[in-house]
Amino acid sequence: MTTVPLLVEAKGLTKTFRARQSLFGRRRDILAVRDVDLSVGGQEAVGVVGESGCGKSTLGRLLLHLLAPTAGTVRFDGQDLAALGSDQRRRLRRRMQLIFQDPFGSLDPRRTVGNQIADGMLIHGLATDAQAREAVGDLLEQVGLEPTHATRLPHEFSGGQRQRIAVARALATQPDFIVADEPVSALDVSIQAQVVNLLADLRQRLGLSLLFISHDLHVVRHLCDRVAVMYLGRVVETGPAAALFEAPAHPYTQALLAATPSLARRRDTGRPPLSGDLPSPSDPPSGCSFRTRCPHANSDCAAAVPPLEPWASDGHRVACWRAAEIA
Amino acid sequence: MAWRGTRRLAVPFLVVGGIIAVALAAPVLPLGDPVTIDVSARLTPPSAAHWLGQDEYGRDVLTRIVWGARASLAVSFLAAAIAGVFGIILGLLGGYFRGVVEILTVRSAEAVLCFPPLLLALLVLTLLGPGAGTLIVALSILYAPTYARVAYAETLAARNLDYVVAQEALGARSGRILARTVLPNVAPPLLVQFSLTVASAMVLESGLSFLGLGVVPPEPSWGLMIRGARSTMDQAPWLLLWPCLALTGTIVALNLLCDALRDVLDPRGRNVTANPFRALTGNLLSRTSPPQVSKPELLRVDGLTLEIAAEGGAIRPVRDVSLSVAPGETLAVVGESGSGKTLTGLAVMGLLPPVVEIVSGEVHYTDRTGHTYDLMRLDDAAMRGLRGDEIAMVFQDPSSSLNPVHRVGDQVAEAIRAHRNVSAAEAWRQAVGLLDQVGLPDAARRARAFPHELSGGQQQRAVIAAAIANGPRLLIADEPTTALDVTIQAQILALMAGLKHQSGGMGMIFVTHNLAVVSEIADRVAVMYIGEVVEEGPVDQVFATPRHPYTIALIESVPEGDDDRLSAIPGTVPPLHDLPPGCRFAPRCGFAEAACTTADPPLERIDGKRSTRCRRWRELA
Ligand SMILES: Nc1ncnc2c1ncn2[C@@H]1O[C@H](COP(=O)(O)OP(=O)(O)OP(=O)(O)O)[C@@H](O)[C@H]1O
Ligand code: SF4
Ligand code: SF4
Ligand SMILES: [Mg+2]
Repeated sequence: MTTVPLLVEAKGLTKTFRARQSLFGRRRDILAVRDVDLSVGGQEAVGVVGESGCGKSTLGRLLLHLLAPTAGTVRFDGQDLAALGSDQRRRLRRRMQLIFQDPFGSLDPRRTVGNQIADGMLIHGLATDAQAREAVGDLLEQVGLEPTHATRLPHEFSGGQRQRIAVARALATQPDFIVADEPVSALDVSIQAQVVNLLADLRQRLGLSLLFISHDLHVVRHLCDRVAVMYLGRVVETGPAAALFEAPAHPYTQALLAATPSLARRRDTGRPPLSGDLPSPSDPPSGCSFRTRCPHANSDCAAAVPPLEPWASDGHRVACWRAAEIA
Repeated sequence: MAWRGTRRLAVPFLVVGGIIAVALAAPVLPLGDPVTIDVSARLTPPSAAHWLGQDEYGRDVLTRIVWGARASLAVSFLAAAIAGVFGIILGLLGGYFRGVVEILTVRSAEAVLCFPPLLLALLVLTLLGPGAGTLIVALSILYAPTYARVAYAETLAARNLDYVVAQEALGARSGRILARTVLPNVAPPLLVQFSLTVASAMVLESGLSFLGLGVVPPEPSWGLMIRGARSTMDQAPWLLLWPCLALTGTIVALNLLCDALRDVLDPRGRNVTANPFRALTGNLLSRTSPPQVSKPELLRVDGLTLEIAAEGGAIRPVRDVSLSVAPGETLAVVGESGSGKTLTGLAVMGLLPPVVEIVSGEVHYTDRTGHTYDLMRLDDAAMRGLRGDEIAMVFQDPSSSLNPVHRVGDQVAEAIRAHRNVSAAEAWRQAVGLLDQVGLPDAARRARAFPHELSGGQQQRAVIAAAIANGPRLLIADEPTTALDVTIQAQILALMAGLKHQSGGMGMIFVTHNLAVVSEIADRVAVMYIGEVVEEGPVDQVFATPRHPYTIALIESVPEGDDDRLSAIPGTVPPLHDLPPGCRFAPRCGFAEAACTTADPPLERIDGKRSTRCRRWRELA
């Protein structure tokens, strides 16, 4: 995997949102993404897992430059996205697409799904109106719907059907890189399997690269070559999917795996669920961010941020002071 | 969509259109001259020649009303429209770009609001001289900032919606996004603003005309007529009546028109409110069926069939569904999207959208007092009494179940006060207790938070707190963990399992599409496929030895194995208006035989506890 030319390369990516408590209150900065290095190679699928608010979606949007980073750079196909003019960047957008998490909010309720799927093709001048109409039919079929659905409005579809429409919209511009933000979490298993298979096929056939943000570890494991586990804005563990899921080294990854519902394992056999919520990203704990929920935390953990260090020769890295002791 | 609302639009549209048409046609109508004075006939009451009477100078009132409409309508409509165009542009730009643009547009427009309206009008007047044109300019300047503020607030809310970001991600230009995506979605409140502005402009027009700042006498306007009639109110009260009637009538018609327009523009149709079908049957049939001997079940749904009138004929998204929940039992309803899980849940709650009709079926519910009755035959008031009290519901998307403008504590307290007669302070105290019980950290303080200040998991906890506020006996949870992360899902599942034990006998219907979650939370499972229950039974048995090919396929498509490709069920779910004959699963079923496509397989009992809707279930073992 290391020899694949990099399509997307992020270095030291940091995003701080400014938020104010009240008019005269003190400013609290929300540290959404902190010092993340991440790369996605051609045709590579990288999974990003973590809890809500840990910065996965922000990371995805930073990689597409839908958000401007506070620090760090994103290079797409060698070009620094921040350095590009807005017109150049808009042209580059054809090559990178986003699939959203929320099937209810991601479609404009007032326009037919056909028009919305065709948007990308028309904006970038990839097709005439007639060609776009035809392509829309094909795309709808590809995602398991009927071409006749093109004339309907989003509210006429169930949640799962809407997400398939969103996938069709993202595929319309034939992108190289797709950030899929929880794209299958709202889908039914049989459709989820079809969409996961579809994404896998597209990756092979079109040389598509994928940043796959998901909380479903089973799907990530199935679809992705590499995985990055995020906690409170930082990547705490990363490595080849198989190795990371077989032998997770970080206590958070271990907890995540234990919390994943499984058909094979009946209820009440796992460990008790990880207690507590994510600490506020505007006031993260000192040292290791996970220490407030970590069953292995000790005083060292509060002192300094554990660096993401090599754990195995296959690119498996982990950010935990006590990883070796726990293992 | 367009023709659905046409009837609602027709009446107000015809009235407003009629008023405008009459005003436009004034010169060709067989009316006299509105300014011809006949002092000898001053203040004569209505007669055959002068239907509405004559005013203080003996002018024909009907003629003046019609001619006056021209000035009044022109001034108010034009002012409202011009103000609208400028205000909306300012608001859209300010809300979309924020920063400097916001200061240049919305904030500077708001400065206008600091001037007293009359002062502003005087200012414009001294610059341009009196007349209807001046009045339009003055009123436009006066009203534009209000539009700007409404448009600004709506744009602010819309700009972060996924479908707006999606346009940005597609590389669309800002202008295109604003015109095609943001504007249509912020239009409804602006339409309401338009009708309010026209009404208010008509009133201001009369005031300013009276001061000599607007329409110049003897030209008629409704405002001038009202002012003129005031001085002779004692002798000729009807003179006041006519222009007032014209003014209010027009304003009311306009409000109705804008209201109807807003509803027609909303593609989701009317809000979920009372079910007219239920209201009808509820009144025709007995109010509540007589109490029966209490049964072990908490809820039993029998043969529920729902119908939606669609363009190509009626569709039945739920057919002959029977389910039961015992106290303390969790029934998982699992199935693909569109299988009718949500509609079944909504039917039990009496919250079906108006387009959905109940064709047949009974929903027997046993309440706290041990009485059993059919929820389908309850009237709205009785159903409202149960909802949120005996039966509560938790929806999939916590962020849209909470009202963004109220503190979560208030929303939980509100749920309590809707059914219990307690003081606001007591309700708040209980709300904090509930939020603490569902595991919201630092509940006393976080109760003051607004929904957007909480994470998704915390929002769902708040929703659950509101749902369990009155100790419901049946909780219907529609995909309550679908939008959550795994560790939070594990917490919420543990929370819900715990609630069931604590509350001693709360039954739960847990709608989900995730089989692994079913195995974690449920005692029994009902598998649905396009509107029918195809298999039902205890979770362990159904998952260990499924007796329906669809259940088997579902279990196999779970991505837990190490196979290179996931095993997906071939084909797609057939559309409801074109269901296959016989077994609905036959086109996708690996076990289908000729007989499967000729006769509907009935729901067969396998043993005391299980049932399946497959004619070949014996061979699946
Ligand atoms: N308001 C409506 N107008 C028209 N059709 C509707 C409406 N509501 C639901 N339907 C249709 O009824 C069928 C069942 O819908 P329902 O929402 O109950 O499915 P579901 O099993 O809950 O699906 P999901 O898992 O996607 O939430 C679907 O085909 C849907 O398109
Ligand atoms: S560094 Fe300490 S607190 Fe952080 S994960 Fe490792 S053991 Fe836990
Ligand atoms: S009845 Fe026939 S087609 Fe239907 S599920 Fe059974 S075997 Fe398959
Ligand atoms: Mg549903």
